[in-house]
Amino acid sequence: MTIDPLYLVQLTLNGLVLGLLYALIAVGLSLIFGVLEIINFAHGEFLMLGAYAMTFMLPVVGLLYAPALLAAVLITALGGFLLFELFLSRLGQHDFERSILITIGLSIMLLHGTQYLVSATPRLVDTELGFDGVAIGDIRITWTRLIGGGLALAAFASLYGLLTRTPFGRAMRAIAQNREAALMVGIKPRTVARNAVVLSTALCGLAGAALAPIQLVQPIMGQFLIFKAFALVIIGGLGNLPGAIAAAVALGLFESWIGGFFEIIWQEAAVFLLMILVLLVRPNGLFGRAIVRAG
Amino acid sequence: MRRFAGVGAAACAVGAAALLPTVTQSNYLIGIAVSACLFTVAAASLNLVYGYTGLLSFAQLAFWGIGGYCAALTVATFGGNFWQGLLLAAGLNGALALAVGYPALRLNRHAFVIVSLSFALLANLIARDWTELTRGPLGIPGLPAPTLFGFAFRGTATFYYLALTYAMLALGLLYAIASSQIGVTLRAIKQNEILAQSQGISGLGYKLLAFTVGAVLTAVAGGIFVFHLTIVDPLILDFYYMQTFLIMVIIGGAGSFWGVVVAGVLMSALPELLRFSADLRMVLYGAILVAAVLVMPDGVAGWLRRRRVERLRAALQ
Amino acid sequence: MTALLALEHVTKSYSGVRAVDDVSLAVARHGITGLIGPNGSGKSTTIDCLSGFQALDRGRVVLDGVEITGWAPHRIARAGLIRTFQTVRVYDALSVLDNLKLAAQQAAPGGWLDALLRTRRHGAADRAAAARARELLALIGLARHEAVPAAILSYGQKKLLALAAALMPRPKLVVLDEPVAGVNPTRIREVETVIRQLHAAGETFLIVEHNVDFIMNLCDRVIVFDQGRTLMDGTPAEVRKDPRVLEAYLGAGA
Ligand SMILES: Nc1ncnc2c1ncn2[C@@H]1O[C@H](COP(=O)(O)OP(=O)(O)OP(=O)(O)O)[C@@H](O)[C@H]1O
Ligand SMILES: [Mg+2]
Repeated sequence: MTIDPLYLVQLTLNGLVLGLLYALIAVGLSLIFGVLEIINFAHGEFLMLGAYAMTFMLPVVGLLYAPALLAAVLITALGGFLLFELFLSRLGQHDFERSILITIGLSIMLLHGTQYLVSATPRLVDTELGFDGVAIGDIRITWTRLIGGGLALAAFASLYGLLTRTPFGRAMRAIAQNREAALMVGIKPRTVARNAVVLSTALCGLAGAALAPIQLVQPIMGQFLIFKAFALVIIGGLGNLPGAIAAAVALGLFESWIGGFFEIIWQEAAVFLLMILVLLVRPNGLFGRAIVRAG
Repeated sequence: MRRFAGVGAAACAVGAAALLPTVTQSNYLIGIAVSACLFTVAAASLNLVYGYTGLLSFAQLAFWGIGGYCAALTVATFGGNFWQGLLLAAGLNGALALAVGYPALRLNRHAFVIVSLSFALLANLIARDWTELTRGPLGIPGLPAPTLFGFAFRGTATFYYLALTYAMLALGLLYAIASSQIGVTLRAIKQNEILAQSQGISGLGYKLLAFTVGAVLTAVAGGIFVFHLTIVDPLILDFYYMQTFLIMVIIGGAGSFWGVVVAGVLMSALPELLRFSADLRMVLYGAILVAAVLVMPDGVAGWLRRRRVERLRAALQ
Repeated sequence: MTALLALEHVTKSYSGVRAVDDVSLAVARHGITGLIGPNGSGKSTTIDCLSGFQALDRGRVVLDGVEITGWAPHRIARAGLIRTFQTVRVYDALSVLDNLKLAAQQAAPGGWLDALLRTRRHGAADRAAAARARELLALIGLARHEAVPAAILSYGQKKLLALAAALMPRPKLVVLDEPVAGVNPTRIREVETVIRQLHAAGETFLIVEHNVDFIMNLCDRVIVFDQGRTLMDGTPAEVRKDPRVLEAYLGAGA
């Protein structure tokens, strides 16, 4: 079999962008776990929410990319705020199973509520940028992909700065590393937890909004992606942010390469098999059970 | 004494259930009763895994669906009969439970939940995408009625006896486990695994046992269910089923055998009463789940148990 | 005769803190060995290490001539070393009697199938366990409460229940982490009596306790820990007299 090198480069670029967007989702999941010790099963629906917010905001703002994206991020952040205040804040520290059942219930309500309101039909989303792109020789990448990847990188850089430089971020890491000690130095766990949830859902909304012009938008899109995000946080080590990012980028590349040459079924199965394999060899994930580590 | 009362009540219930087709001629009602039998087995299996052992396992959904596909494919593609299909469902899912359970149960419970969920989602994806085997989203329609020594379980009432017999066998086995020293040990592991380890009890072995028994019984129930529907398609792996089983366990009371059985039978009728749009029904189910978990985390049976403990404590003061 | 349990150069750190630092000690067969030391001196960590609940950084543990370093906790328990926990652990939702029966389960003959089919072998083991459980419950004064869920017992009663559970399988070695902390003072005397009786019947004990009188009355040998190391090792009389112990522990505590 001969492989066209151009085709390979093209696949690599697409995979990189996809991986960065996966990473946004996985990082949020990991952050919530690190701070609240809760797995947010409704995380995928926040992605879907972000994508739909983008879809419906675009015509309102005359197809302008930036304001629609901003609105989408704010809407999902508000959703995260409600999620915390209405539900998660009522749970105790050892209510792990209850937290799952509640977020599952919410996920189903959001998914089917959306399906009922806007129908399950996939939508193609158009922006001011259309499907234009840059071409270098025969390699082509659309603006929406390029911007999506850039936004993700910018988000990681800001997240890193936030976690290491600001009191708000340091409190988050302190709680994740040692809850008792953090409480003793007067950190308010409730505020920190709320911030973590809002931040995570905003990141997820950003991913959804950036994905909207790249992929088809449909209610079920969150479910497809969350499954991968779960595998990623497990492979990267629960609560380990750099681990989740590394695993996500690797997965994006891997999927893009496999998807270019094999049937889709292998692409889906690969993640799960990889996860089982990692767990057999290293039960704490590839990068260890580290707490929210920023570096 | 309570034991005998329970057995007596169970015998009456079985008697009443067996007489159902003589009371009503409605295929619609008897069809609900078929679902009630099979859903109750799945809920009671989940109760063994979650209620007794404390493992919140979404893999139950995968076992239910894979069981359905095993039974259907054996008849429609592999040239076997219904009973061989059930055997394949039991064997394959038992093996899968061991293969997935062994690595996943060694993890902390957080990771276990994620792995079990991913497994269920993967099963769903495979059912849709591996079209050569599963025929994709269209599924395999027209499954024939099972036959035994020339007798065909044709017609809803006849099929009902098949489902009822299986439900009795499966629930009997689950009851035998739950009421034996094994059931006590599973509850002990759920409550305090570290203490159990310090007493020489291997948590992993017992968890694998519960997980595997739950998988096999659920898979066979799924296998029978698709022959009741006469079609298998990826919808058999829809989250709707998992949610139904979960609600039955939570409302009935996780860790209470009879609570979950009663909830399973009663709540099987629920979807039939709520015959509006499928999406709205799911929204309502989600709301019930959230509300139940927030308001009544241990279900009706747990609420009754707590009242008993309160009384004892008061008597002791 | 060799020691029943021997620790050799056992070391364990928690993220930099040396909780146990190169400890070697031996527990004599048929003895009652006490282990005392100030808060945070590494007593509980030592118990976690010898019972398999913490992996050692360095060193060996030998039980009855068999090296058990690195074994899983349940395997060490089956080998005859049973430990209790400082923060009491019982099965809250199970009855007091079931709590005790469970503790003897692994030592009894028969497996899953016996339990499921309720074979004669299982029935005999079950009756034997119930009989021993009732004997122990009478000794610790909980006989009236055998059918209630353990959750409704007081803290001290739970401690007694945990002690009885440790004795259920007649292990080679019983390791108790603060068995009488929180127990009603009038009951402490009875616990002493129970331990003496079982000791007379050939049982071996290693006991961690802050109640100095309890240790001095009961033990034939006392090991003193300070900051993760063995400070001294001798008879109760010797320990009482030692100025270092007074300084490190008794002086500060009493
Ligand atoms: N899980 C743990 N993680 C981190 N440090 C620990 C842990 N367990 C114990 N330590 C530390 O190890 C040291 C020894 O603790 P240990 O519990 O063994 O002492 P102890 O002698 O049993 O004290 P006490 O009499 O208070 O029970 C202490 O400094 C303690 O803070
Ligand atoms: Mg201690």
